[in-house]
Amino acid sequence: MALSRVDIKVKDGEFCVLLGPSGCGKSTLLNIIAGLIPQDQGTVLLDGQSVDSLAPRDRDIAMVFQSYALYPHMSVSQNLSFGLRMRGTPKPTIRESVQWVARLLGIEDLLDRKPRELSGGQRQRVAMGRALVRRPKLFLLDEPLSNLDARLRANVRLELKQMHHQIQGTMIYVTHDQVEAMTLGDKVVVMRDGKVHQIGPPEAIYSYPSNTFVATFIGSPEINLYRGMLVRKDGLPHFQGAGFSLNLGRLQIDLKEGEVEVGIRPEDIGTGQAESMDLRAKVEMISYVGSEKYIHARLGDEALTFCAPKDTALQPGNVVHVAVDPGRVHIFHKGRRI
Amino acid sequence: MSREHLETNIIRILRILGIIFFIIIVAFPFYWMIVSSFKSLEELLMRPANLWLDIRKINFNAYYEVLFEHGFSRYIANSTYVSIITVALSVTLATVGGYAVTRLRFRGQAFMSYSILIIYMFPAIVLVIPLYVVFSHMGLRDSIHVLILVYLAQTLPVALYMLRSYFQTLPVEIEYAGLIDGCSRMGVIWRIIIPLSAPALASVALYTFMIAWNEFLFAFMFLDTPEKFTLSRGVVQLAGSVHLSKQLVMAASVMVTVPILVLFLFFERYLVRGLTSGAMKG
Repeated sequence: MALSRVDIKVKDGEFCVLLGPSGCGKSTLLNIIAGLIPQDQGTVLLDGQSVDSLAPRDRDIAMVFQSYALYPHMSVSQNLSFGLRMRGTPKPTIRESVQWVARLLGIEDLLDRKPRELSGGQRQRVAMGRALVRRPKLFLLDEPLSNLDARLRANVRLELKQMHHQIQGTMIYVTHDQVEAMTLGDKVVVMRDGKVHQIGPPEAIYSYPSNTFVATFIGSPEINLYRGMLVRKDGLPHFQGAGFSLNLGRLQIDLKEGEVEVGIRPEDIGTGQAESMDLRAKVEMISYVGSEKYIHARLGDEALTFCAPKDTALQPGNVVHVAVDPGRVHIFHKGRRI
Repeated sequence: MSREHLETNIIRILRILGIIFFIIIVAFPFYWMIVSSFKSLEELLMRPANLWLDIRKINFNAYYEVLFEHGFSRYIANSTYVSIITVALSVTLATVGGYAVTRLRFRGQAFMSYSILIIYMFPAIVLVIPLYVVFSHMGLRDSIHVLILVYLAQTLPVALYMLRSYFQTLPVEIEYAGLIDGCSRMGVIWRIIIPLSAPALASVALYTFMIAWNEFLFAFMFLDTPEKFTLSRGVVQLAGSVHLSKQLVMAASVMVTVPILVLFLFFERYLVRGLTSGAMKG
């Protein structure tokens, strides 16, 4: 996987998430930081020092792998202490560190077991423990939760956040799961095809996606994205889509007229008639997700998804007025936010 | 009786017959060899067709004679030496070489990786004459160390191939974890790859040992001095000698066969056990 023009700074103690679809280069980037793959160009700096010429073991990093990669022929406590033993740490210190990390992760009674005798969640904890026990400068985590079942994943995610809070470690975390990225990250780096698309705190990534890829990749249900023309009526911008028109009100747009894409998040769409806007959508399907309902409707010739309260009376076949706050509409020109 | 029932029974009977057939083919010569080796010469001469061994007449003379009067204690020592050195060198070189072609990237790696087995396509009989000539000219022929070299050349390709195939099944992340945890490349091989490859290493060791222990052609061609004979060479020497006593040859043959059998039974449990379970998500 080729990476190009990747420039990321991670602050001390920061939880940085690399987010992107599979094959976007995020794991490659992680392996380069770890020193497992040599990069053709560019430099990896740790504390301002280049570590390019250092072997992985000399970089003072620890890594948690998606597959956990525990040493199958060693017990849990040997797995945890391996890195310390390799570094010649005195035995009493090793014992203390292993005890500390086992208590932190609640795996004290598993110390004598072999990895094959552990459940998936327990293995994941041991893998985390193996990284934590050395207290390195930098933690690299490569999709550490993706092999857990959904319920366990949510729990471990919370624990991970707490743990980060507790140990104040600097972490780079790779995932393709936007929920993980949004809940865990202080900073999210959205990547695709070896390029960085946006870097920012989760709120910024969500509220101000810098291009259509970020807009569609983040958010569930997916953002409604329409291709059409930006036109001016009485000096005010309007979006002319396929079979519908959207009044963008007093929105300041740096483009006079032309081809654009607009994105509207499902939760930014309300029902009811708004002044100066006459949008009518025909409900086609309703999916119930517990806390609310997703309404899949047709707006002009386009599909529209929006959120409605779980007690909504809407039924398939109904025609409903929808309203959009122009301030919450994302406008993209040639794929980029304007 | 239902048709299904009938079929099951037929299959069962056929299976039993098949097993009996193979047991006779494989085990009878072996049985005959062991039984004959415990008989005395008179017994063999008087009742050559007697299949049974009288427990009261068990006789270890043949073993004693073969070992101490026909030089087989020396041959056993030679064979053991040759086999163990071959195994040690073959396993060591195949481990490092197999690892290199699996994990390291270097110029010609793919070619190296695929050409390993080409060496194996030359039959020994094609090689033995040129090697005979070369080693004779170099004055190296009558030496068990040259024999070790030849056995190494014979076993290394397959050993490399076996280990390479096995290493490819080991998840590379475990090695990455080792590298990050503080191992060098050699450290990874020593502390992670080798312990995890125990079954494969055992297979390779067993295979190499068997080849080196049983090999006859090169030993026959290269060795002239009786003190340097290996077991298989010794058996042929014995069988071709003037005073042909069958029980002696049988005793010698038992000494060639039994160590391999014992080794196989001992290593067998390592061969089947997979050691990587539990490393990955699974």
